[in-house]
Amino acid sequence: MAAAAVQMNRGVSFLILVSVLTSCRSSFTRQLSIQLNPGSPLPPPDGDLLHVRAVGDNDTLHFLFCSQGAPALLLVHTNSSSSAVQVDWPLFLASNTSGGLHVEPESSVMSSAAVVFSRLLEYDDVNNTADPTSDLFPPYELRDVAWSRLNLSGLTAQLCGAVGGGLLCLQLSVFESEGRGQSWPRLTHTANSSQLGVWLDGVSPRAARSRFLLELQAVGGAYPLSRVEVRRSIDDEYMPSIFKVSQWVSSANGSSDVQSFVQWKPVAYRRADPALEDATPCRHSDPRPQSGEAVLAASALIRAFYSEPDTFGLNMSFGLAGESFYNSTGFLSWTLLVGVGSPPVDSFSPLVVAIMAVGLGTPIILLLLGGFWVCVRRREVDSTAAAYEPIN
Amino acid sequence: MNECAENRNKIALKTFPRCRCYANAAWRHVTRLARHMTRRPRLARFPPHPKQADMAADYGERWSLLGEEHEDPLADGQAARGPGRPMSAICDPGHLLHRVVVLVFMCFLGFGSYFCYDNPAALQTQVLQDLNLNTAKFMQLYAWYSWPNVVLCFFGGFLLDRVFGIRLGTIIFSLFVCVGQVIFASGALLNHFWLMEVGRFVFGIGGESLAVAQNTYAVNWFKGKELNLVFGLQLSMARLGSTVNMNIMGWVYSKVADLVGSPGHTTLGASLMIASVTCLFSLICALVLGFLDKRAEKILQKEEGKTGEVIKLTDVKDFPLPLWLIFLICVGYYVAIFPFIGLGQLFFIEKFNFSPAEARAVNSIVYIISAPASPVLGFMVDKVGRNVVWVITAVVTTLAAHMMLAFTFWNPWIAMSLLGVSYSLLACALWPMVAFVVPEHQLGTAYGFMQSIQNLGLALIAMAAGAILDNKGYLVLEVFFCACICVALVAAVMLYFVDYVRGGDLNLSASARAKLQKEATSDAEIKKRPGKLTEGDLARFAPMSPCGLRNRYLSRLAAQIPDHCSTHLSSLARRSVLK
Repeated sequence: MAAAAVQMNRGVSFLILVSVLTSCRSSFTRQLSIQLNPGSPLPPPDGDLLHVRAVGDNDTLHFLFCSQGAPALLLVHTNSSSSAVQVDWPLFLASNTSGGLHVEPESSVMSSAAVVFSRLLEYDDVNNTADPTSDLFPPYELRDVAWSRLNLSGLTAQLCGAVGGGLLCLQLSVFESEGRGQSWPRLTHTANSSQLGVWLDGVSPRAARSRFLLELQAVGGAYPLSRVEVRRSIDDEYMPSIFKVSQWVSSANGSSDVQSFVQWKPVAYRRADPALEDATPCRHSDPRPQSGEAVLAASALIRAFYSEPDTFGLNMSFGLAGESFYNSTGFLSWTLLVGVGSPPVDSFSPLVVAIMAVGLGTPIILLLLGGFWVCVRRREVDSTAAAYEPIN
Repeated sequence: MNECAENRNKIALKTFPRCRCYANAAWRHVTRLARHMTRRPRLARFPPHPKQADMAADYGERWSLLGEEHEDPLADGQAARGPGRPMSAICDPGHLLHRVVVLVFMCFLGFGSYFCYDNPAALQTQVLQDLNLNTAKFMQLYAWYSWPNVVLCFFGGFLLDRVFGIRLGTIIFSLFVCVGQVIFASGALLNHFWLMEVGRFVFGIGGESLAVAQNTYAVNWFKGKELNLVFGLQLSMARLGSTVNMNIMGWVYSKVADLVGSPGHTTLGASLMIASVTCLFSLICALVLGFLDKRAEKILQKEEGKTGEVIKLTDVKDFPLPLWLIFLICVGYYVAIFPFIGLGQLFFIEKFNFSPAEARAVNSIVYIISAPASPVLGFMVDKVGRNVVWVITAVVTTLAAHMMLAFTFWNPWIAMSLLGVSYSLLACALWPMVAFVVPEHQLGTAYGFMQSIQNLGLALIAMAAGAILDNKGYLVLEVFFCACICVALVAAVMLYFVDYVRGGDLNLSASARAKLQKEATSDAEIKKRPGKLTEGDLARFAPMSPCGLRNRYLSRLAAQIPDHCSTHLSSLARRSVLK
């Protein structure tokens, strides 16, 4: 509304302002360098480690994506533009003590956070209530899945594993600058974040009314990701009919500054090339503290970087009561954003701003011009009438 | 008016008091209907002046010129049945009680079509899910309803008057509605979407014309008597149909789902079949009405009702600029209302976290509000005048309501109530303006054209709205609707200035209008007095049917005799106006 009110008065000049602002904001970029299995002479046998170094003006972000054990993404934020990741491969591969991976210089680390995809759960939703407490099938432990090699192309890396006769795939995208995803849910991203897509393709359901849950573990350094905020947004332009955005954030005690975040829209898709009707809502459980041991055991990356991790876990459940089951399409995809700093916020697109500016501006300009003209005319009439008065 | 009806038996035929009584009734009729239509400022209204009685007398004389055949129907009835065959009040077509029975059938005649029109909106989630549609396809259901009416607006009246006759015509249109709904439901049962579209098309052919037929019946049976009340009741019935549909179909669907075992296209089809019972009911009403009308015709020797609608497409080239602006307001405004209501349910569920039942309720609030608001606002617009200002107010309010829905999370009950009020206000202020800017004999064409354009707009925008929602979401859709309303607003502002420049009477206050009228009527008096009726007048007078005369008489009390006689009531009974 406020934006609309501004537009009323400004019209075109406001548009120019918007475009200037947009260009200012998008000027922040990072230099990316991607390295697969840094420092390792041979590809490690049990899975790859991807390192993306994103250098900003005076800080560096290290994205580490690893498929040894359960897939995990680790984000380390350092305040130096020359920090580097060191991997001690024998220690890393042994995966029994911490110290296999560290960032140098140690003192430059400002924050770190990791997301681990630990388990895939399936349940039989007999009564179509989408209540995942009952009838859970034995979970798929993702640490035991045989993952494919990381498939790099440009700024994305893809990883697939055979689960239940089908595939569970993850795709990591990193970004040099601000932008928006090409396919739904078209999350806004910044250079401070990376995007993870997860999809289940052709996993054979174990019941006629199967629904799935994905168990996520978030590991934090100083400040764990302890709470999920659900923000409402009036802007659903990029993801039709979704007016919410959920963010799982870590923050220093009593402070509203967010150190790192996991952000998603509560929507998943039942087709690889989705249309609006393929969207299915999803829901998260409250994050609960987990034992550090379990997550250390699950992922080699977490084991190598953290010694005593503070862990919170939550379940994402796909589909609500009355929605179609997994069986209808045999496909499910979901996207999340992992980053540091404040989560990105959507703003009105230039299209919306332009339509409202023109739509509201035109009648007002017309009214002003018309009013002015009528005044002038009336004055003219008055003056002519005055001129005639003496004659009459 | 009641007094008039009660006393009618006691009053001898062809006496002044009766005629004056008629004239008074007619006068009241015109004042009340005026908000809808026919107020030509200089002509249509009697000033509250002693002259009224004279005028009535004048018309009484003319009335009597027509002789026996169009006397008081009741008196005729009495004559026909004679003293030996007493008829109970309920069977006596001249009796009020019988008319009440007819009224019940008349009201339910349109119920089915109003109930079924918004079936897709009421079952939006179910339709989308069971048939796995996207919104663009869903909105095709509304577009297909509008397409036949782009053309039929011009021919509905003609078909009823010249081709079928009112009775057969009503039955045929009811049959179209009924068959259309059954095809629609079968399409869902068989999971063939194209069949559903065919069903909506057939339904559309019947629906709008049925409203014209319903109205013609009303004029035929209640002319000069309880006509305003009857129009009011029909209007309430129409809104009742829409509201009941909005709030009951979800429940019907869930019950059917329990019976069938699971939701799916079979459940949807079965629910729509159940909805089509209302259409069947309306068809039965059409048959009964046809029978009763035929019977009344025999007993009372009255003639079949006519819409009196005259359409001359070549008139279009003579339409003045203000009329085109009115068309533009009409299109720009209504396309932001009906497609929005069609898509509303999911919007409230998804944006405002409403339960489906609550979403349906808030979606139907527009209809619920407009039922009581229309007469009140109509009265107000009548009293104040200044139609253009009212139109601008209504459009701005609607714009505000849409912007609230687009840019805030405020409770949508506020915005939707605002929408309901402004929507009623616009209907009261906009539609009568047409009668101010075109000559009377072009009114039928103007209204027909207006509705045709409106339907064209609705069909196109319904499709566009679905596509926008699928690709860009509700925010952009709402912004699009705001843009449509802005077009209407620009047209309304231009109308204000154009009218100002031309010195038109669209935006006069009621008192200024009354003054104009007074002058005009006294002018007319002066002209008419000396010669009473001229030869020419008589010549034009003679071939007219009593119905035609009565129609003209009712609608244009002080008017010069027009080339065609037309009440144009039918134009106003279309769904677009009633809803």
